[in-house]
Amino acid sequence: MSGFVARPLGVAVIRGAVLVALLVGWQWASGTVIPKFWISSPSAIAATLGRWIADYSLFGHVGATLTEMALGYVFGAAVGIASGLCLGFLPRLERIAAPLIAALYALPKIALAPLFVILFGIGLESKIVLVASTVFFLLLYNTLDGIRDIDRDLVQALQVMGATRGEITRKALVPATLPWIFTGLRIAVRYAFTAAILGELMASNEGIGYLIEASAGDYNTAGVYAAVLVLVAFSVLFTELLTRTEASALRWRV
Amino acid sequence: MSVVAKIALEGAGKEFTSHGETVLALQPTTIEIAREQFVALVGPSGCGKSTILNMIAGLQAPTAGRVVYDGTPVSGPNRQVGYMTQKDTLLPWRSVADNIGLALELKIRTVSANNRVRRVAEMIELVGLTGFERHYPGELSGGMRKRVALARSLIYEPETLLMDEPFAALDAQLRLVMHDELLRLTRLRRMTVVFVTHDLGEAITLADRVIVFTGRPGRIKALREIPLAHPRDAFRLRFSEEFAHLHEELWNELKDEVAKGTDR
Amino acid sequence: MSVSQTAGRTADERFILLGRIVLMTALLLGWELAGRFVDPTWISMPSLIAVRLVRWAGDDLAQHAATTVAEMAMGLAIGVPAGVLAGILLGRSPLLATLLRPIIVGFYSVPLVTLAPLLILWFGLDMQPKVVLVAVVTFFLIFFNTFSGVQAIDKDLISSFALMGASPREAFHKLILPAAAAWILSGLKIALPYALIAATVGEMIAARRGLGFLVTRSASQIDMTGLYAALIVLMLIGMAIGAGGNALEAHILRWRASGR
Repeated sequence: MSGFVARPLGVAVIRGAVLVALLVGWQWASGTVIPKFWISSPSAIAATLGRWIADYSLFGHVGATLTEMALGYVFGAAVGIASGLCLGFLPRLERIAAPLIAALYALPKIALAPLFVILFGIGLESKIVLVASTVFFLLLYNTLDGIRDIDRDLVQALQVMGATRGEITRKALVPATLPWIFTGLRIAVRYAFTAAILGELMASNEGIGYLIEASAGDYNTAGVYAAVLVLVAFSVLFTELLTRTEASALRWRV
Repeated sequence: MSVVAKIALEGAGKEFTSHGETVLALQPTTIEIAREQFVALVGPSGCGKSTILNMIAGLQAPTAGRVVYDGTPVSGPNRQVGYMTQKDTLLPWRSVADNIGLALELKIRTVSANNRVRRVAEMIELVGLTGFERHYPGELSGGMRKRVALARSLIYEPETLLMDEPFAALDAQLRLVMHDELLRLTRLRRMTVVFVTHDLGEAITLADRVIVFTGRPGRIKALREIPLAHPRDAFRLRFSEEFAHLHEELWNELKDEVAKGTDR
Repeated sequence: MSVSQTAGRTADERFILLGRIVLMTALLLGWELAGRFVDPTWISMPSLIAVRLVRWAGDDLAQHAATTVAEMAMGLAIGVPAGVLAGILLGRSPLLATLLRPIIVGFYSVPLVTLAPLLILWFGLDMQPKVVLVAVVTFFLIFFNTFSGVQAIDKDLISSFALMGASPREAFHKLILPAAAAWILSGLKIALPYALIAATVGEMIAARRGLGFLVTRSASQIDMTGLYAALIVLMLIGMAIGAGGNALEAHILRWRASGR
């Protein structure tokens, strides 16, 4: 028996059984032991999801969130990396600006959401800006760390060897900075997702966060859970993808 | 009259299994170490010398045979020994004085706070670290940290000291200084010492008896009493003829094993 | 370092300081002028914001700030000990780790702050859901850091404690806890800003008090001055928390500063 439990198939079966048991228990408890308002029920949630899929609304909302994520991510990362490189190679400027940047970083970016909604409207734009501002700081700091990581000894050795500026950039600067930038890009995905959802929670008419907030506003618990389920699904998806890329990214690093 | 050995390995051997492979680190070995004897174990890397120390300390159990300490088989951490490893395991958040006094804080021995402070001070003077009581390990040089580690192992006056290449990371001069101090302290305290090293010269300088091991799987290749008189001058000993003879004799045994090791 | 080099160092620092003052002055001035000559409705002005802050300070700003800080404090009071305990338990027991850690990691893959509406649905408008949110967010961060810290403890240190005759309780207090402290503290430094974010998010979604509430209230009235004022207060609190975290770490980890 213990052999069965230990093997992957055994583990999967046990986990599956536990999951089924939980769902059955949940369905039974709903309405009987615990009011439907608090926990809803698997059937109601499934029904809600089914409805959303059937009338294609779910895809629209998911698409909106992903669009906000993607565009905000690209803008934020680009500006963040560029700023990081600029400040990194102008250390005086970096030191002058450092307290200001740190102060802005200390502000929870989510608090900017209402501001962006006022300035850019309730549509996708405000969320894109919110995502961009979150991703910006992350990439800025990571890029700066990467530049700080540059091996000065290597740079000097190359200079003595007679390397051109381009060669120094390629052989010393880029290899040092690139891993940091990539790490930042990977971490930023999660933050972009969170920022998009939070922005939608604040004020929106589209997106997964909107689904959560709208359902909550209607006291539609099944809707809240259904939307949260979609949220969880995508979170897990992103985490999995990122873990895979991390493994392959680190392979070359030894 | 039969003298009960302080430490006895009776056919003690050790196998390790990892990733499905079984490796024999130490072949069943029999060694007897008498009270107050200083024994050096010499051999190439991976021949099981550290394993012997671990078994005497009770941190690892032999997979064959047994280890007997003071007539009783070892089963579990052996509190009669002090163990000094190659990496000094000082607590970086404690000062030198607090690191040394650590063993005396423990409930297993009832030492009053005053007593502890006094003994710590004695120990600090003994190892020559006066003035550094309040320093943190991070502020000390490698040699000083070794001295703290030595003081820490000695302060609760264990009757046996196990040392696993403790001075390997030190420079040559410092090592001689440590040899001198070790000889002085262990003879003063009448301690039994089992000392593992790569360095044959170190072994001959310090020990009453040198045991040469083969490469993995380790077994005893040679055993030699070191009749050099005590007290020994660690600084000048290596220039004596007797030392040179001993060194040559044992080096012949050792060098084959070392060569085999580097080929692998 | 030669004397001239040290003198050069200070001149450099003075330049930096000057640069910072120039930067801040230019920004504030620019903002003020933009507000006066362009449209103050959307941009507001530092002078107006300052006036509003003073007015709020005399009014109930302190209560709002206190609410937010209290939510954070209570959440931390729950989340930190729970995280440390879980981290140490699972760190020391490989069995528990294999059983429970995957579950914890699974839960963590979800951005927890986004579950704020769910919590508000359950717990209502007051402080509870924010406290719960802060506690949960903090728990995970502290747990992961503590767990890594406990696992990173040198096995040789553990054996040397056993040889010296330490009881498990003594080993816990004298070895495990101090060794993990560094990790716990770095987890705490990360957790503090997140605690603020969690509390703010909760307040922005539904609340009657708090700095996040101030933000949304000003926004709903399109009161830009109030909005900026609230943001500035939040920023100051965020900075204070960051500085506090650093100070705490510097104090407890004094031994790290020396050497190496």
